[in-house]
Amino acid sequence: MKILRINMGAEGGPKAREEPMGEFEGLGGRALTSAIVAKEVPPLCHPWGADNKLVIAPGLLSGTTAAMSGRVSVGCKSPLTGGIKEANAGGQPSQMLARLGYAAIVLEGGPKGDKLYKIFINKDGVKITADQSLKMLGNYDLGEKMKKEYGEKVGLVSIGPAGEMKMSAASVAFTDMEMRPTRHAGRGGVGAVMGAKGVKVIVIDDTGMSMRPPKDAQKFNAANQKFIEGLKKHPVTGQGLPAYGTNVLTNVINEAGAYPTKNFMWGRFPACQKISGETQAETETARGGLATHGCHRGCTIQCSGIYTDKDGHYVTKQPEYETVWALGGNCEIDDLDAIAMLDRLCDDYGLDTIEMGATIGVAMEAGLAKFGDGQASINLLKEVGKGSYLGRILGNGAAVTGKVLGVERVPVVKGQALPAYDPRGIQGIGVTYATSTQGADHTAGYAVTANVLKVGGFVDPLKPEGQVELSRNLQIATAAIDSTGMCLFIAFAVLDQPETFQALIDLLNAFYGLNLTGDGVTDLGKKILKTEREFNKKAGLSAEHDRLPDFFMKEPLPPHNLTFQVKDEDLDKVFNW
Amino acid sequence: MTESIVPEAHSIVTLHLILLADRFPLFSLLLQQGFRVKIQAGTPVKGVLCEQFGLSPEYVQDRIKTILLDGKAVDDMDGAILKDGSTLALSGPMPGLAGASLRRDGLLASFRAQITHRGDRMDFPPGAEGMITVKIFNLLLDEIGPVFLQRGIYLRKRDFQDFCKSLPEKFQKEFRAAGVNSQKSDLEDLQKMDWLRKNDMVFLSVDFAGPSLKRAI
Repeated sequence: MKILRINMGAEGGPKAREEPMGEFEGLGGRALTSAIVAKEVPPLCHPWGADNKLVIAPGLLSGTTAAMSGRVSVGCKSPLTGGIKEANAGGQPSQMLARLGYAAIVLEGGPKGDKLYKIFINKDGVKITADQSLKMLGNYDLGEKMKKEYGEKVGLVSIGPAGEMKMSAASVAFTDMEMRPTRHAGRGGVGAVMGAKGVKVIVIDDTGMSMRPPKDAQKFNAANQKFIEGLKKHPVTGQGLPAYGTNVLTNVINEAGAYPTKNFMWGRFPACQKISGETQAETETARGGLATHGCHRGCTIQCSGIYTDKDGHYVTKQPEYETVWALGGNCEIDDLDAIAMLDRLCDDYGLDTIEMGATIGVAMEAGLAKFGDGQASINLLKEVGKGSYLGRILGNGAAVTGKVLGVERVPVVKGQALPAYDPRGIQGIGVTYATSTQGADHTAGYAVTANVLKVGGFVDPLKPEGQVELSRNLQIATAAIDSTGMCLFIAFAVLDQPETFQALIDLLNAFYGLNLTGDGVTDLGKKILKTEREFNKKAGLSAEHDRLPDFFMKEPLPPHNLTFQVKDEDLDKVFNW
Repeated sequence: MTESIVPEAHSIVTLHLILLADRFPLFSLLLQQGFRVKIQAGTPVKGVLCEQFGLSPEYVQDRIKTILLDGKAVDDMDGAILKDGSTLALSGPMPGLAGASLRRDGLLASFRAQITHRGDRMDFPPGAEGMITVKIFNLLLDEIGPVFLQRGIYLRKRDFQDFCKSLPEKFQKEFRAAGVNSQKSDLEDLQKMDWLRKNDMVFLSVDFAGPSLKRAI
């Protein structure tokens, strides 16, 4: 594997060069993006400046026949949090990049002038072309244009207008199996950094390349088979997610009183059944869409789908739980069609749906629109796409919007909006929101393998005081999983079925010829977190930033009327290992 | 104690429908938002599920992985007691960190310690008739939804009317027969809703005439 570096500020125009992995050998995904950013990006640099770098890295198993191995990580210094960032996505490009032999693409330097570039990569090399006709195109139109130029078998990594305007909520889009721009590295404003590098789209063509060969094909194939069997037999990965997608969570989180509603004022949304995964799947099926679909080839869980309008025309991919919550329940919108349109607009403009949902919730609290008004939300989002003054405020996220509009209840940590679980209801998640190196991030402590690995000791699940320890373990395990290119949803089967966890380790060992154990995975996770923490410290983020907003400690959340109760001194212990 | 929600007998109208099996999704929203059933109050969750609802202990153990009683996550099905007015939500295992946290006896239970159901003391007479709200989610909809519909569920008039409004036009094609208070009724009479006027609550039972649905008992 090799690293492709593209200096966007080189004399005479952008220049590409390939490098061996060197000191980054053996790393992939988040481990690689964070290692490169930590080593090469000055922590105090401006996120849009020439010194920042955007690193796009497939996972360790991407480009292989391993099931679920299509995740890609995007890293940089975040314009939203001011710290290190890793956002990841599904889609086709991860597999394609890996098959072309690239462990990472690094966009570096600062472009001269205002040219906008497209980068074409295939087995013969790299071609970088200025193309002003791409300026301010939405991701969907851009995709159609690229199809005409390069055919329908390429993968695209792109930004929409939000990225070009360097908005802090801007995402990087990755195309799915239908070459639609529906998979996003959404969090932290990574799209703004790509925009600052002057890159509109990276077109990847892996024609003529084959799957990456494992060191021990026999063991690898056997492990893959066991891994797939484990995923298929588990009720979450084999039944729940394929049938309903991640939005299956809406009813349950709502019933538990932890579903943030009306900009985090309530813990229940009375109309949640209208936007639940169950209702969404039935709507899709009745209209001729799809309730079960993968986001990349090699996905066996198939938690996505196709959402169509009443006449059966494609609108967007199946909006996932976080999106339906952010643009739905958080804004008291109970109309799946409105939510689907908002999702489509976010994908087209290149925006993080969580950040935009939280932002619209804050704007509604400020009186810019009425809670529950889907059309008003669509109009606000269109302002972002147009780049009006209002749109530029909204496109910079909930923290900026709250400050400009004078709203006190702004649900962010380190400037990044909270996802769809109220930390007053499920307090352990609040520990992760507060202390994650990434800002408020539900996936930072997602890998529920923690007790299987027993990282940092076994935690008694019934003791409330285990929340800090558990969050630590989860963050360590997740950092490691984020490096494999594996979809985090594998974690459920791995949690319950030790043989499936072993199959995952066997996949890595058979592919690379390693003898990795659970301890090795733990060490990798710890190393990543340590690297990221050190970067953040140098960037000016300290323990005081590892806190939830004040209102979570002061405003009791109905129906359980709880406040967040984990003490600051306990939060400060999360990274003591 | 919660105020009793058991309705007076004279305020209930019974409606029995016979439909095609493949129209079961019609009832999905209704089952998600909740319906009422009578129980013997003072019975633990497990007793109600197995003895009063007739679900097999194996099914309850293996498939109902997430239980919320009045919004609190239940780990101990024998310690959590159902009372008149309780709300019981039933779900399969859920994805995500929060989903895994809410799972019964899950490894991440400490994450939701503040909303864990801590069991009940019997400070009320057991055995009295009570009425609870039941909500059914996700995989369980297809599996045990038909069981409840066949046994019969109680719906507030407003909820029933909302349900009727949500029925698609092609409902007519799926409709086979109906009975109101044991008297045969046709679709036209049903849709006029005159029969509902004097009642506060509907006891709805449904038989599916087509191919058999998945059953949990």
